[in-house]
Amino acid sequence: MPARPAAPPAGGLGWANLGMDIVSVNRVRGLLAQYGERFFERMLTPGELADCRTSSGLDVLSLCGRIAAKEAAFKTLRVRGRFLPWPDIVVRRSEGGWPLVELHRAAAEMAAASGITEITVSISHDVDYAVAVAAPIIAPTPSSSSPSNS
Amino acid sequence: MADGLQTVKNWILERHPERQDIAPDLDLIENRLIDSLSFVEFVFLLEQESGTAIQMETLEVDSIRTLAAIGQHFFKAPAEVGRA
Repeated sequence: MPARPAAPPAGGLGWANLGMDIVSVNRVRGLLAQYGERFFERMLTPGELADCRTSSGLDVLSLCGRIAAKEAAFKTLRVRGRFLPWPDIVVRRSEGGWPLVELHRAAAEMAAASGITEITVSISHDVDYAVAVAAPIIAPTPSSSSPSNS
Repeated sequence: MADGLQTVKNWILERHPERQDIAPDLDLIENRLIDSLSFVEFVFLLEQESGTAIQMETLEVDSIRTLAAIGQHFFKAPAEVGRA
């Protein structure tokens, strides 16, 4: 296989490597039918599952949106050789309804190693698919800080 | 091939009917036979077939990158992996 070109690392001044993901509602509905909610307890925290719950049970579109957002956020980290640490990237519904990404444990370590302080994400869904796009917030380096910030 | 590993192989083939077989050294990740969502399902299957609890957070990609690696990490006889 020919050598592949090198991509820029996750962090760095002027770079914001986006992450994006799409999740099929049919696929998630099938997993829910086959394994039940316990399957998603390995991917989502109790708080995230509560955010996805309505009076009639788990809302599959919300579930798909959360899954897409976690994957999109993970893609901004550009980590090799690791799987998505599902419970460590938490996507909660903030006051106002916007998704809010929290990074914990392994995800926080990966982000810190890449100079990423936070990740912002947007989710959309319609009938069959949920999509999410994520952008990293890069930590300012000493050379990029303005005098007023010092 | 161990029965459990054959079940794993069949599980992947069922989801990728365009393939007739999977070579032991084929990279399952590079060839997109396992993605993030199917990975969680895959871990469920591995736990069931190997009888071992798996921590997803600490699982190294290389341990499930090929069928050969899966066999090495999850389906070796206890004596072969140094268990008492």
